[in-house]
Amino acid sequence: MENLAENKVAYADLEPATDTHNDNHFYLNMGPQHPSTHGVLRVLLEMDGEYVVDPQPVLGYGHRMQEKMAEHKNWMAFMPNTGRMDYAAALQYNHGYVALFERLCGIEVPSRAEYIRVITSELNRIVSHHLWIGAMLLDMGAFTPILYTFDDREQVLDILEDVTGSRLTYCYFRVGGVCKDIDDKFVEKTRAFIKRQRERFAIYNDLVTNNIIFIKRTEGVGVISPDMARRYGVTGPVLRGSGIAYDVRKNEPYSVYPNFDFEIPVGQNGDSYDRYNVRLLEIEQSLRIIEQALDQLPDGPFLGKVPKKLKMPTGDCSFTVEAARGELTYYLVSGGGDIPYRLKIRVPSYSNLSVLSELCQGMLLSDLVAAMGSLDLVIPEIDR
Amino acid sequence: MHPATEKLISALQDSSIQVEACDYQERGYHFEINLKADKLRSLAECMLAQEMFLVFVGGLHVKPAIEIIYQFASFERACRLFVRVPVDADGAMPTISDIYQGANWHERETRDFYGVNFTGHPNLVPLILAEEDIDLKPLLKKAENLLESAAVRRVKVEEHSEEEKAEQS
Repeated sequence: MENLAENKVAYADLEPATDTHNDNHFYLNMGPQHPSTHGVLRVLLEMDGEYVVDPQPVLGYGHRMQEKMAEHKNWMAFMPNTGRMDYAAALQYNHGYVALFERLCGIEVPSRAEYIRVITSELNRIVSHHLWIGAMLLDMGAFTPILYTFDDREQVLDILEDVTGSRLTYCYFRVGGVCKDIDDKFVEKTRAFIKRQRERFAIYNDLVTNNIIFIKRTEGVGVISPDMARRYGVTGPVLRGSGIAYDVRKNEPYSVYPNFDFEIPVGQNGDSYDRYNVRLLEIEQSLRIIEQALDQLPDGPFLGKVPKKLKMPTGDCSFTVEAARGELTYYLVSGGGDIPYRLKIRVPSYSNLSVLSELCQGMLLSDLVAAMGSLDLVIPEIDR
Repeated sequence: MHPATEKLISALQDSSIQVEACDYQERGYHFEINLKADKLRSLAECMLAQEMFLVFVGGLHVKPAIEIIYQFASFERACRLFVRVPVDADGAMPTISDIYQGANWHERETRDFYGVNFTGHPNLVPLILAEEDIDLKPLLKKAENLLESAAVRRVKVEEHSEEEKAEQS
């Protein structure tokens, strides 16, 4: 009791405007060490019995001040940091960062390098969705699916490990290209994975997609309307679940994405089930992109000619990529020299999590776990 | 230009907000707006009415005043706007968190990092930093590193290429 009272004082400002004096309400801390708040997120829940009256995320447990670090070292030395924000989809963070400097300094990238970037980025997107499917189902009490998704995930991690040298926090892209060429073995293994993954969808569908318990727990839970998505800046699969076909790869095409034929899967109702479905369908679309990229893969250098000491011109520059969780924007301000004056990193999960308070009001606690799981949060990315 | 983008630009101009077109390939956004703080809320209302979403809110510490930066984009078409608003003399900025609820956290974060007071914000308590670090303001520059606002603006393309030529020769 004492602890609860203390909490109430320390977080008095987090109390909702209505019902502040309701004696039946109590406070519950979900996290920072709760298994379904991956990483270190804490959600302060005001509860009325089993119903959530007001959920307030409390951030900052994994804060490293990445933006300050970027202002203190040579732009190239910050490269490994990019993979340590969203560790589940690090290559897309690499991609945005190198592309930002290529845009600012007007550097040409050889087309083979762009193809390699797209192939590895899409592999990384698939891995990220594997991780999410397993983790979300685990949150909801289903232990089996994560064993299957991680089996598939391992296949891709092995492929990426061969070429990038790491399994999680990649630092593979360089300004002007990538640091290592892909070989025949990579192509062969990737093609084998595409074939294997397509066969695995049937298992996913039997185990999860058509599972009556899963459907009952996610259908109609946590509905995000297009208007709400716009007010909060929700992007990525969470937004596409609400029926808006916004994908940076199509909307503001970058790299060689215009060369490929792929679709943007969208949901209809904007509930947790739709968000699940969108991600599952996205895996298939990523496979299509990879397949086409392997077919079209041009010969040539994998790293362009870039001056050893790259001096940034004065001015600002922005670059947006579609990360696995939504829109990732790097905004750079340069005062010349080789250290950025300011680097703003807009991460998708940040805006996606900010809907939680409005989204989960009045929900059962068990539904909140399903709704929050469907947002696909990576906390170190939010805290930066 | 997309008809909806034209509509947005004329709606902004109706509220006497000057919009400058940019080269997307070079800058990564299509339009740039330099704004006074008192116009910010009418800009945000106009953006929401024209179905734009808020990408981010951030800060930039330059002389003479801290600038708050906003980026808006569209779900339907390629249209990205960049807005730059210097804070007023007492370091305050009107909130837009009642128009774009997503701005709530961004503004709290900017207060953490720069100490900018967003007037009218419903809950301006530390978000990313711990409560005891409220006066830390980690992204403020030291006086010797602080640049003029003009020194971090993009040099016009012609001048830039001449500069490059001079460097090369």
